[in-house]
Amino acid sequence: MSDGDMRPATARLPLEGVRVLDLTMVWAGPSGTRLLADMGAEVIKVESARSWDMLRSLHFLSGPPEQWWDKAAYFNHNNRNKYGITLDLQTARGRELALRLVAMSDVVFENYRADVIGKLGLDYADLRAVKDDIILVSMPSHGKSGPESGNVAYGTNVEQLAGLASLTGYPGMGPHKSPIAYGDPNAGAIAAAAALAALLHRRETGQGQHVEVAQWEAMIGNVGEFVLAWQMALRDDTAADIDAWSESQRRGNRHFSRVQGVYPCTGEDEWVAVSVGTDAEFAALCGVMGRADVVRDARFADVVSRRHHQDALDEIVTAWTRGRAQDEAAGVLQAAGVSAAPVLKLQRLLYDRNLRARGFWETVSHAAAGEWDVEGPVWRMSRTPAHVRIPAPMFGEHNGWVLGELLGLSEGEIAALEADGVTAREPQAGVHS
Amino acid sequence: MTPPLASVRILDLTAGVSGPWCTKLLADYGAHVIQAERPGVGDESRGHGPFPGGIPDRERSALFLWLNTSKRSITLDIATATGRELALRLAAQCDTVVVDRSASELERLRLTHEDFAAVNPRIVTTSVTAFGLSGPYADWRATNLTSYATGGQHYLTGDGDREPIQNGGYQALYQAGTWAFGATLAAVWNARETGVGQRAEVAGQEVMAAILEIYMPDFAYRKAETLLTRRGNMATAVVGIYPVIDGHIGIHAMPKNWPQLLDALDMHWMAEDERFQDNRARLRNNDELMAQLYTWTAGVTKAEAYERGGQYRAPISPVNTMADLLASPHLDARGFFREVEHPATGTMRYPGSPARLPATEPAVRPAPLLGQHNAEVYGEMLGISARELAALSAVGVI
Repeated sequence: MSDGDMRPATARLPLEGVRVLDLTMVWAGPSGTRLLADMGAEVIKVESARSWDMLRSLHFLSGPPEQWWDKAAYFNHNNRNKYGITLDLQTARGRELALRLVAMSDVVFENYRADVIGKLGLDYADLRAVKDDIILVSMPSHGKSGPESGNVAYGTNVEQLAGLASLTGYPGMGPHKSPIAYGDPNAGAIAAAAALAALLHRRETGQGQHVEVAQWEAMIGNVGEFVLAWQMALRDDTAADIDAWSESQRRGNRHFSRVQGVYPCTGEDEWVAVSVGTDAEFAALCGVMGRADVVRDARFADVVSRRHHQDALDEIVTAWTRGRAQDEAAGVLQAAGVSAAPVLKLQRLLYDRNLRARGFWETVSHAAAGEWDVEGPVWRMSRTPAHVRIPAPMFGEHNGWVLGELLGLSEGEIAALEADGVTAREPQAGVHS
Repeated sequence: MTPPLASVRILDLTAGVSGPWCTKLLADYGAHVIQAERPGVGDESRGHGPFPGGIPDRERSALFLWLNTSKRSITLDIATATGRELALRLAAQCDTVVVDRSASELERLRLTHEDFAAVNPRIVTTSVTAFGLSGPYADWRATNLTSYATGGQHYLTGDGDREPIQNGGYQALYQAGTWAFGATLAAVWNARETGVGQRAEVAGQEVMAAILEIYMPDFAYRKAETLLTRRGNMATAVVGIYPVIDGHIGIHAMPKNWPQLLDALDMHWMAEDERFQDNRARLRNNDELMAQLYTWTAGVTKAEAYERGGQYRAPISPVNTMADLLASPHLDARGFFREVEHPATGTMRYPGSPARLPATEPAVRPAPLLGQHNAEVYGEMLGISARELAALSAVGVI
């Protein structure tokens, strides 16, 4: 327990006592195991000299510093609260030790391409042979079966496959991507929850299982109402054209039953988001703008006509927002009962007063990378509040503890593993360039 | 086969998207979810549509039908004294109550976690809101747009020379619901282990702020603003969306995928060209690389590009439409879509669950009609007779 930890001594973190062997890399898998690590699960991340987490190498523009593998912010954000070891799973000895760790674990996570885990000899059957009730969570992009299971896809591919990109975009324009690899954290959050569902099931029945999170499938639910809406549209008109229909769904910031958008404020590229549904909200907006005439304007008499004349209404709102700072505009509108918020730049998000008041950002101190702010655990528990307990592991940082204490290897055996290249202190350069 | 969450009982006091998505996930995995709706009007999403024929009908809203499968619906006005008492009596028999109102509203209704814990010390109260139960935005009104705006992703979405846009549907609300689903299970696990419940809180703004890929970590660490701009459809030439003959495709190639990408594009000459020699060179010559890719994509269809991606294991995907999904041979082979028959809308194909727990896959039931399970739930759980129910209905409590 760290010095700053305010937990009462009796309140164990929710997942204390749950051990997770984490074979995942990059973002999707690690974001899922991070959720469990935040809640107190003992997550042991496995890398090796020739197969290490690519995020360790992402040093945009600044160029790689000395000991670069321990200093990438992206890696360090996604792997806090975890332990890290090196173990080359492609060697017989590495595989054998990994299986010994499996025998001591509750859950194993992997996000290799569908066929890789089998080639490593670490398929579900292999794991069950050493731990009958093990829970294996696999996260292949397309799933482990089906004609396209050999395909490769990363986060932005996932939102394209799942149909989200076809629904995103400026009105009248083509599909648009999310700025982030959105499929990754989506699959991670689903995988973490699925692991917990499997744990609860094991608790009731004594049985483990092989959980499969196909990242493509994991995102389709997020647009499930469109899947139903298209079927309804086809019933209304069997000749309905999917491309025209998809384009009609790409509304930018607009909505089919509310009047909403983002409006320019003072400051470079600063905007306030405003969303108005009912007549009462619309009257409140007009009251704030001092435009009683607009409330009475026949073009804006009800929700339907406001949507029909939104271009004209947008000009009126813009005339009001243009001279105001985004926080001021949002604050005045909220005080009047209008849904409004600043479109926060990331430079501002880090200092946002709501997140700061809630203690969302926590300062982490890392032996190689120094000190900076990271987001705290997002699952907030009232009786067992969680924090960043330990920074992300340096490469192979916990080899001694895991191999020595958990597996009971002697110092000589541990040294031999390193001499044989089964463990390593540094990643091989060039693997991800 | 017992579904994974068959032992979990949930009282759902939410409406809209975030809370119902959280409880739909719980219900589809076998939890017994009792959804309490406002008498007369029901969940607000019943009014949102889209509707068949464009005709509003609270039993035929696509959004409601999707978000409320496998649940049982009761009507209950929790703002009345009797309604509140009924909610507490139901909560006494549940593992979890899910709420989506602000702290001040819950205090006014006297339905805080402490109120539930007083009748059921093991209960988990899941709170899912846009901005959290505390903080200066706690009483702000929120929609998907404003949640998206305050989470950071909004500013980065869209073209640099235009206004930022949100992505499709209700992604900020869905994410809050997905994370509340996991938080609920972690707290239920803990309650089973210790015999004591607690409040599990998820704030949409915090979820969105935590999924900003490299952008937030990089800024938080280096304080450099280089990456913090809207870059449209191209993060780089090999991470972007391109037009093809009959629609669009996406490419998302990491440095290690470069050889496979060249295989798929049949552009092996690039491997010899020093402008594209390594990742840094490719970033320096991004525009030229993009021009090469535009030339290739202009001559292929979605299906051809995807097939070559699959053949050579290059990360190339079609930008699928809803029609593409429903026609996908891969999803079909995996039995992803499930036919669900609903009394008001007939049979439609619904997406399957986001994760497969094969030992335990439960059947999905259609979303309930408003108050469909009043007699069943109030009768079985609270022993309320049909006559008493009629009286409660007459005064608007149910």
